Amino acid sequence: MDDIATDILRRTIRKIPVKKLQDTLKSWEHISTSQLETLDFSQPKWVFLENLRSLCEENDLNVKHVTELEMIYHIRNPNQGTWHACQLLEAEDEALSVELTQFREQFKAHLMEVMRHVSVKIKKHEDQAIWIRIAWGDNFNKPNQLKPTYVVHYLQTPYVFVSKLSSKHKPYLYQALVLSTRHSSIKDAHLSGSSLIALRDLLMRQYQQVFPTNQSRPLQERNALPSHPNIGKEHAELAEKRLQMACEAFGDGTVPKLETAVYRLETKYKGNGNDTLIDRDEPFKGVVQFTSTNLLESLRHCVASGMADAPVTPLLSSITQKGRNYFVITEKGPGAASQMTGRKI
Amino acid sequence: MALLTPFNKMPELNTANILLVENEEQFQTKLADVIVNYEKQINVNVRLARKLPLPIENADTRPRIDLVVFIVNLIYERSLQAMESSIKHLDSGFFVGKVCFLVTGARCGSVSHERLLSVRKLAASLHCPMLCAEDQTTEGVRAAALRLLSIVKVSAGLVPTATALYLSALTRCTLPAELDQD
Amino acid sequence: MEGRGSAVKTPASRIVKRRSKSYGRSCVEPPSQFWYTPGQLTIVRIPTSREAAKSRNITEKVDPEKVALLVKNEWKLSHVTPLYRFRHTQLKQYSRHLSAFIMAEKQQGVAVEVGPETTFKVTFSTVLGLAETEEDAETVFIQIHSKPMFAAAGDVPKVVWSGWLTCVNGDPEYLRSLPPDFVSLPLFCTNGPEALTTLVKSWLERTFDCNCRSLILNSTILNWLAVLWTGCHPTTDIRYLKLDWTLPTDPSLDISYRLSPQDVWELWNSIHQEDSADDTVSLEEVNRFMTGLESHFFRHFRIYLSAGTLMKVSTSLGSAHHNGKIKIACSNYIPTVLTLLTECAILRMPI
Repeated sequence: MDDIATDILRRTIRKIPVKKLQDTLKSWEHISTSQLETLDFSQPKWVFLENLRSLCEENDLNVKHVTELEMIYHIRNPNQGTWHACQLLEAEDEALSVELTQFREQFKAHLMEVMRHVSVKIKKHEDQAIWIRIAWGDNFNKPNQLKPTYVVHYLQTPYVFVSKLSSKHKPYLYQALVLSTRHSSIKDAHLSGSSLIALRDLLMRQYQQVFPTNQSRPLQERNALPSHPNIGKEHAELAEKRLQMACEAFGDGTVPKLETAVYRLETKYKGNGNDTLIDRDEPFKGVVQFTSTNLLESLRHCVASGMADAPVTPLLSSITQKGRNYFVITEKGPGAASQMTGRKI
Repeated sequence: MALLTPFNKMPELNTANILLVENEEQFQTKLADVIVNYEKQINVNVRLARKLPLPIENADTRPRIDLVVFIVNLIYERSLQAMESSIKHLDSGFFVGKVCFLVTGARCGSVSHERLLSVRKLAASLHCPMLCAEDQTTEGVRAAALRLLSIVKVSAGLVPTATALYLSALTRCTLPAELDQD
Repeated sequence: MEGRGSAVKTPASRIVKRRSKSYGRSCVEPPSQFWYTPGQLTIVRIPTSREAAKSRNITEKVDPEKVALLVKNEWKLSHVTPLYRFRHTQLKQYSRHLSAFIMAEKQQGVAVEVGPETTFKVTFSTVLGLAETEEDAETVFIQIHSKPMFAAAGDVPKVVWSGWLTCVNGDPEYLRSLPPDFVSLPLFCTNGPEALTTLVKSWLERTFDCNCRSLILNSTILNWLAVLWTGCHPTTDIRYLKLDWTLPTDPSLDISYRLSPQDVWELWNSIHQEDSADDTVSLEEVNRFMTGLESHFFRHFRIYLSAGTLMKVSTSLGSAHHNGKIKIACSNYIPTVLTLLTECAILRMPI
């Protein structure tokens, strides 16, 4: 156990709650059951850590083993840091047949080819996700094990999620991914957030979607009926319609937990009755950021409650439709800003 | 544009109908519950609306409206804007004691004074009463509901000695003369 | 009638207040009230226009060191009723009294989050030159230093709390109407642990028979600030105008809108009618400016920002939050901002 290994061990153990320590160490598989029994999990963490460290020394464990423990922690706690989604493009014919062993070998080989010092660990998680931990070095320095990049890829899908990647290492990672998954290119999906699961669910559409063709109206039941026969709601139907449209745009039930959406507006001024600015050719620039603990839920409520006018603007529904939360809106741009019909406030 | 009119339907015996218009649709439901459950002597119907005009589809089932209450939550500018656009869809026949304004949040320290002033000016110009209510506590809701009940009884013609016009002449909102110049 | 007449003509902020009979002055005044709620007899004349912000090198008038203190921090605002028998000549005595008061409270077990083994030293000082008119009382600056009970020789006492009481361009009519024993410093800005703020406030309340309440900045004040700062752009680069709203959705939705300074200034310039005689900004222009921004936003997102609350306005010149926290980053606009805030504090005065 060198200093770095001890350091990683300490950092990891500190993050794991006491209740989950035993279970996590068990699945690590580098400390025997009998050794585990000698550990007292009720000890203060720093005492516990000392005891654990001596066990590691006893078993002759090194950095390699300790980083495995760190990976287990990250796999079990995926909603940490910021994840950025990337999308692989133009799959080759073999892309669908890429397997874990093949991917593992190729990915490592491609990365090692361009970088002398790099340490890669690949682990498969239960739900078909491949977790990759990369510690980067360069031609002169050993890999920095304290600042690893985490990559999650779902085999046979075009989606890759990356956390803590510096722009310096981006091209190397992208190239290795493209080659080892048999695609021809990769692009930034403009989707980021702290919840890996949410990003995955949003891109793979693993949430309850509502479609306009759905005429069975299951939503009606949720619209609370008046509590008394003498109370009549004039706008019950309107409220229902708004809810339907809100759910069509942002999903029903529990929706993926996104935190932010950012729009860089570079459109012409569209405010009311200001001729000087409306006649101006240059765009009226601004950045709009929406933030919430659960953005899609907030937006759904915003539309359903009438704080936003229905139908939902394509700018907002693009979050789910296109699986993005960063947009640049120009006059002819992707958000179809120019098509929008305005209404006076 | 369908104007809501006060006299195009026949009144029903021993019945008063009240229309609560509120953009946020929060306070109106609380008020409605108290109103219908409190009154035992007469039959009170409450219609809840978010804005005017009301949907044409409901025109047949809707009873004759005896009192229209515009609820304005002063905390939100939108509440005021929505009320201002709704009021245009009301027939002038209502403004003889069959309209009242109910504002909430008037004493909230974070509210712009201009909003209350706007409602007061509007109420005064339309010769309508303006009530201040408290929507956060059950007592507040109850007090507001009871005030509305006593007004609707008069405007429905269920109080022998009073008429809507008479009541509104007594309770209408007034402004000091110098403010009218603004 | 005369007082009110002038209030209508004068473009600057004006507040017509009606004081209770015991204060003797204004019971004969016409009832100029339109803000009247039972139990709170404040009668407010809401200003409908004010002077545009003017850049002024304030350090010519005020000690630059003092200015640096005001500019550095974020301040939590309170409003304070007039102080009874406050004397600018007795600041030394107040320093001793407040130190003793804090120590006494601490011994009684009031938690002061600075560490147990410390002593406090309070200094009161005046910031000369901030006052703009004859009626304005000079600003008073309060600092609380802490040092360990057993300090080493080289230990310099650390500033743990600071605060200042100020009045800039306070309504002259209101200030003149105060009885001679009262000094009005309606705006109280504090920075430091909440526990110390509470102690200082309760000392002020006991010593000067006044009342301190936190000051909330409503959307009107924030709109004014947004416009005043935007108007500064040709003179001082504001770098951005950022507006933050919160919508009462479930869970709540925060919307921040950061605008390019040049564009936002052009919008303002197209709305604002510049008068060469006296550059005043009217409330109507302010509202049109904000509606202009909100409607541009609406055309894109169809969300009514007016259904929510404007929480914060910021530019590189400073920021102001709905909950009463402000930051003044550029000393040249201190008088403008303080004038607005003083007025806001005076509007809250109960009678």
